[in-house]
Amino acid sequence: MSQTLNIQNGKIVTVPEVATIEEIRDEIREVKTFYLSIDNKEIWNNFKYRSGQFIMCTIFGAGEFAVSLPPSPENDRFHITVRTVGKVTSALHALKPGDKVGLRGPFGNGFPFDEFKGKNLVYVAGGIGLIPLRSSIVHALQYKKDFGRVLVLHGARTPDDLMYKENLKEWQGFDGFETYITVDVPTPDWKGETGFVHTLFDKANLPIENTIAFVCGPPVMFNTVIGELMKRGLSDENIYSTLERHMKCGVGKCQHCAVGRTLVCTDGPVYTYRQIKTLGEEI
Amino acid sequence: MTMFLIKKADVGKIAQELSREYEVYGPMIEKSSGQTFFDRVEDLAEINLAAPIPSNPPKAVVFPQMERILAYEYDRTKNAVKMEPDYRVVPKALVGLRPCDLAGMLCLDRFFMGQEFVDEVYLNHRKKMFIVTNTCITPFKQCFCVCTDSGPAAKEGYDLNLTDLGGEFLVEVGSEKGAALAAKLGLAPAGDPHLALKNEKVDKSIAMFEDIAVDSKAWISRVMNRVTTGFAKEEVWEYIGDQCFECGACTFVCPSCSCFNIADVSNPECAGCADRLRTWDSCSYEGYSRMAGGHNPRKPVEDRRNKRFFCKLSYSQMKKYLRPGCVGCGRCAWVCPGDIGLPNVVTYVRREITR
Repeated sequence: MSQTLNIQNGKIVTVPEVATIEEIRDEIREVKTFYLSIDNKEIWNNFKYRSGQFIMCTIFGAGEFAVSLPPSPENDRFHITVRTVGKVTSALHALKPGDKVGLRGPFGNGFPFDEFKGKNLVYVAGGIGLIPLRSSIVHALQYKKDFGRVLVLHGARTPDDLMYKENLKEWQGFDGFETYITVDVPTPDWKGETGFVHTLFDKANLPIENTIAFVCGPPVMFNTVIGELMKRGLSDENIYSTLERHMKCGVGKCQHCAVGRTLVCTDGPVYTYRQIKTLGEEI
Repeated sequence: MTMFLIKKADVGKIAQELSREYEVYGPMIEKSSGQTFFDRVEDLAEINLAAPIPSNPPKAVVFPQMERILAYEYDRTKNAVKMEPDYRVVPKALVGLRPCDLAGMLCLDRFFMGQEFVDEVYLNHRKKMFIVTNTCITPFKQCFCVCTDSGPAAKEGYDLNLTDLGGEFLVEVGSEKGAALAAKLGLAPAGDPHLALKNEKVDKSIAMFEDIAVDSKAWISRVMNRVTTGFAKEEVWEYIGDQCFECGACTFVCPSCSCFNIADVSNPECAGCADRLRTWDSCSYEGYSRMAGGHNPRKPVEDRRNKRFFCKLSYSQMKKYLRPGCVGCGRCAWVCPGDIGLPNVVTYVRREITR
C-alpha cells in the first residue's frame, strides 16, 4: 500500500508531513542532493512511490516547490536533487543537516514499467534532465532481467555540469548497461566526447526496434533529440518524457500546471511524445 | 414535488428563520452606487429579492478571494515545527440566489468535490449550507442563461426555490432541509395551478430575452464543437489576445472560475513562521504559468486567453462540470475593458473574426 502524505480518505489535507534533512551532498554548481527522512516513523515506514512521480516540498518561511522523486526506497535512500533557481530553492540550499522541511505527495502518474518489459531502454538526458530520469534508470537496473539493452546517454554543457558522475561510472559496470557521455564545451583536460547528446547515437549503435526512449532536458535539446529519434524510425508513442510546470497544489485543483487539456500534476508528469504533440503547447 | 405559497409580505420570514442557525448572505442594493451586491447580510430587511443580478457572484462565500489554509511556526533553534490547518465549518444560508449563480456553484462543487481528490478547504465551506434560489421572471440586460441552459429558473441544487407569482411566491422544495424549513414556517400548500402559473412566468421570461437581454447572445454549442476539436483559427485567438488587458476581472466575476494561487506569507519577526494563503488567480496574468528561473511556456497573452475560453467552452471541461463552464450571467462582458467577454469571444470564434 502506498502512502500518500496529504490524502486521507480521498480528501486533500493541507498539512505537510515534517521531514528532517539528514545529509547534504554537493553535486554540480548550484545543485545539491538532500537526504531526507519523515519524522513520523509509521508514515515513513509505509512511504512508497513509483518512479517518475513527484513531491511537493515546503521550506518553512519561504514556500513550496515541486521536485521529482528518487528511485524507490528499497534500493536508495530517500533524497531530492535540487538546483537553485528561485526564492524557495535558494532557501532550501541555505539549510543545514538537522533542519526540517515539509513534504506532500507523492503525486503524478509515474512511468508505466509493466508496458516496457522485454524492451530496450534508451535514456537521453541533457544537463539536470538526468535527475528525473535517474529513478527510472535505477528501476531498470534493479529489474535488469526484464529489459533488453539499457543505454544512458548524458550530455552537459561542460564537464563540470555532468550529473551523477559516480553513478554513471557505476552503471557502466553492470551487465547489459551502457553509458555514453558528451559535453558541448570541453575543458583542456577533457578526454571524452564533444558535441550535443544526439551525436552519441551512432557511437551507441542506438537500437530502434522494440525500444523505448526517455528524453529529458532543456527545450532546445528536447526538440533536437526527438527529431533525431523520429528520423531514425522510433515511433512517437515509444518516446517518453516528464514535463515541468509551475505547480501549487499538486492534486489537480489550482490549474497552474494545465497544458493542453491535461494537468501535469494528475495526468502527468510522464507523457509520451504522441501525447505531447496533441497538447498543442510549448514544452 | 412539494410546493407551498408564501405571501410577499411574509417572504422575509424565510431569512429570519434561517438566521437562527446560519450566517445569511443575500442580494442587497448599495445605496451610494445603486448597484446590487451579494454579500453577508447584517440587517435582514436589506435583502432585496427584486434587485437586479448582483455585480459579484456568490463564489466568495464558498471560495474566498483570500483565505488562510495553514499556519505554521518553525523554530530552527529548537528544531520544532508547529502546524495548524485553518478549517472552520460555518453554517451559511444563501437567500435569493439567481439560477445562473447556483449553476456556477454546482460547477465549483463538481470541480472541487466531485473528482478523484476532494478539496477539504472547499468542502468545509460547503458542508453546512442552505440555498434559496429566486427565479428570474424577467431577464436583465446582459443575461444569456437561455444559451447556456442555466436559467431563468433553477432546476436542481436548491433547498427552496422561490418564484414571484404576483401577490405571492411559489415555494418549491428541493431537499429534506428545505421541507423541514417549510414545515416550520407553516406555509400554505400550493397546487398544480400555481405550478402552471410559474411555468407561464418562466416561458414569458424566456420570450423577453429577445427584447430585454440585448447585450449578449452566445451560440455556445457551435463554438463548443470548434474549441473542442481545435477547429478555431490561431488568428482569432491572436485577435482576442490583442484586446486583452490582462486585468483578470473576467475570472474574478465568473461564478465558475476556480483557479487559485498559494503563497506562504512570512512574518517579518519570525523567519520560519508563515501563513499559507490561497488566493484567487487568473490565467490572464503573465505570471500564471511562469516557472522559477523565468521560463514561461505560455508567454503570449493569446495562449492564456485561449486557455480561459477552453475552460468555459470545451467538452473535456464539460465532463468535469457536467455542463458548460459558462453559466450565462454576462458579468465578464460587463466588466471587460477590452470588450472580449465570453459572448463576443463566441461570436469571434464562430464567425472567424480576426480583425
